[in-house]
Amino acid sequence: MAPTETPQAAAQGPAFRAAGKATLDVALRVGGLFAAVIVVAIIFIIINPAFANPNLGVSVLRSMSSVAIMAMGLTLVIVVGEIDLSFGAMYGLAANSLAVMWIVGGLPVYFAIPAVLIIGALVGLFNGVLVTSIKIPSFIVTLGSYNLLYGLSLWVTNSGTFNPVYPPPGSTMDQGQLDFFIGLTQNVGPYRLSIEVFWMLGIAVVVGFLLHRTLFGFRLTAIGGNPTAGQLARLPVKRYKILAFVLCGVLASIAGMLDFSFIQTTQPDIGLSQTFPVFAAVIIGGASLSGGKGTIIGTLGGALLLAELQIGLALLSPGPHVQQIFLGAVTIGAVALDLFLTRVRKSRAA
Amino acid sequence: MSDILEKGISLRGVTKTYGSTVALAQLDLDLCPGEVLGVAGPNGAGKSTLVRMIAGEERPTLGELTFDGRPWSPSVEWQAVAVVHQEPQLFPNLTVAENVMVGREGTGSRRPRLGSADAAVMEALGIGHLKNKLLEDCSLATQQRTEIARAVARDSKVFLFDEPNSALTAEESDELFREIRKLAETGRIVVLVTHRLEDLVAHCNRVAVVRDGRVRTILEGDALTEEGLARQLVVDSTMTDAADSVAERKRDPDAPPVFTARGWTLPGVFAGIDLDGPPNEIIALMGVEGSGARELLRSLAGLDRCSGRLTIGSLSGMEAVDRYTAYVPATRQFSLYSNYSVGENLLVRLGRPEIAGMAFALKKRQMKTLAESAVQRFMVKTETTTQPIRSLSGGNQQKVAIAQALNCSPKLLLLEEPTRGVDIHSKSEIYRLLQTYVEEGNTVLMFCTEVLEIYEAADRVHVVSEGRLSPALSIADYDHVEQLATDITRLEGEQRSGAVAG
Repeated sequence: MAPTETPQAAAQGPAFRAAGKATLDVALRVGGLFAAVIVVAIIFIIINPAFANPNLGVSVLRSMSSVAIMAMGLTLVIVVGEIDLSFGAMYGLAANSLAVMWIVGGLPVYFAIPAVLIIGALVGLFNGVLVTSIKIPSFIVTLGSYNLLYGLSLWVTNSGTFNPVYPPPGSTMDQGQLDFFIGLTQNVGPYRLSIEVFWMLGIAVVVGFLLHRTLFGFRLTAIGGNPTAGQLARLPVKRYKILAFVLCGVLASIAGMLDFSFIQTTQPDIGLSQTFPVFAAVIIGGASLSGGKGTIIGTLGGALLLAELQIGLALLSPGPHVQQIFLGAVTIGAVALDLFLTRVRKSRAA
Repeated sequence: MSDILEKGISLRGVTKTYGSTVALAQLDLDLCPGEVLGVAGPNGAGKSTLVRMIAGEERPTLGELTFDGRPWSPSVEWQAVAVVHQEPQLFPNLTVAENVMVGREGTGSRRPRLGSADAAVMEALGIGHLKNKLLEDCSLATQQRTEIARAVARDSKVFLFDEPNSALTAEESDELFREIRKLAETGRIVVLVTHRLEDLVAHCNRVAVVRDGRVRTILEGDALTEEGLARQLVVDSTMTDAADSVAERKRDPDAPPVFTARGWTLPGVFAGIDLDGPPNEIIALMGVEGSGARELLRSLAGLDRCSGRLTIGSLSGMEAVDRYTAYVPATRQFSLYSNYSVGENLLVRLGRPEIAGMAFALKKRQMKTLAESAVQRFMVKTETTTQPIRSLSGGNQQKVAIAQALNCSPKLLLLEEPTRGVDIHSKSEIYRLLQTYVEEGNTVLMFCTEVLEIYEAADRVHVVSEGRLSPALSIADYDHVEQLATDITRLEGEQRSGAVAG
């Protein structure tokens, strides 16, 4: 803390080192994450050389897509210093309400999809308004809406399952609409890559731009870092928090509809079990639960690492318990490693 | 130099580095029981590090500490040392009494109760009647006194006071210094770190001047004077005398005021305030906690709904507040973003079109230029604009906090204790910033608790007590700060008795 009154020439050195330090930190963090993805892949291939197969890579990308889309929404909420537990239930409600409106109600899918997006936005608005205006902690609000939305899913589906290819007896599906809906995530190219992956990448570009390159993201991060300061500086704290929840709800409903399109079947409880893997992806990606910190590229890396482990371990088939244990260990390990590396970097900077 | 003190604490060759920054460089210092040792130094000189070192919150990179002649690690024997911090470090969710007791609850399984000794200490510090109040509902002054009470009640051997009275009124600090001297008289080691030179001279036996991580000199006896200290503190610095910077400014008496408030009322706090803010003026509001001065300032920032009429420029009411005022809170924690760099902190209040354009996309290149020019313009001492805000010294963080508000070019800048806990050098730079700003036809309204600050920075002062505003005193009419202090005290007294009579 002593004033470093170094001559101009000598000051150049530290000045240069300190330049872009925050950016460098993020780069190292993300670089480490993707290095881990590669190391894990190599370990799997050593265990079973048959894993060196592009089709497997393609299915990892497909299976990370919906987790990544939800995780990006959650990243926005976590960056602004709040928490959302309800996106998994929103994912389920999106798929189920789409199924009911389209398959049972006969509403053309072209109208049902925007309707579901509006439901996602309204759920986000509901969460956001309760958190900011009535000042109920977001953990409680979204724990409530998690159960509420799951209840709605059970209600609208009457606890049934739906498949547009096999509609309930008596109703027929319009082939054009069916082709359109299934086409949203159909497999293309020589490796049969699902279009769902492109949806994920497109959304990542949009949300990444929003968070890292717009005034919205700049202020969102500031508010997450110091909400009191944001309020005193008259930043639109309430509005931004609500917007983060709305985007999280919309992204969850997109993820739910895309997975429905790919899997083509819904159950009332789908999505509920996604809650914690999505959290794990965001945390592994380097976001801080205390707010003000998080990147979209990191979140994508977290989702990729998890999907890779999940598929690799499933194929090695040591039993479902191993996947679950790995999910826990990787989440804690990633954060511990992150803290350790940060400390090393800080002392190295000496 | 290297002989070790028999009784007391000795620091020998203590060095502390943070990364490439050297906070303490081969520092030697002896702390003797029974005296008050003052520590003075410009911000970033290593004072805070020294305090944290003695408190055991930091370990020296090199060198050693001894206590009564034997090697000593304060981080092991932490009970021996009590620290009263610059920013109170307490439990806001506990009551005042619980905060005093915390850490000494005893080993019983029952919920601890306030002992009579603790109660006496709290009574002596004037917070006895508040004992069941939650700390977060108390004023900053009470919070600091709670911290002092806790240190006193712990009966520790070493007492470190880090700017303990920066938020206290003159009366309250007198009480505090009586307590401090009492502690020293009972054979304890007392260290006082403060920027207030008059306190160092009045209450310390010896004062160590710390600069660039070393003890440059120790003043005692006749050599211990305010002028002597001030000279030692500013050696090598090119700062101009603060008095010079309050130069004669052009003032047009017929110019329309920047803001006018009429019948400005916040029920239960202040009522019927009429206040004008002429351009090119720095106006100070002085008042103790609870007088309504702080609340009046905050209300002009739109933080409380008030009745009455407020016009700034061509706008009125909340619209005027939103467009033309900017507010800087008293604590830096409420204006700086620790997850952001220096540059981002400077720009965070801006919006479109300054830092964002089409589709709200950030103009990254423009942000870099703006941040660099802000660092220049507001004299922030930083290596780059991308380093974390916490790597700056307190005085420079304060400059960033004020610059952040000035960056959105308000007509009326509202400041709370703008130089609290800031060294003399940064202080005069901050005053210069404010001068430059008002010379552009703007107005500064600041809430102060120190007469010296008003004397050095303001053009006129209103005393607030019992929610009422005194007539203005023009600072130019005073040749000495003592006269001003006397008049302010007199006004306060008159108003209070007037309020009782009315």
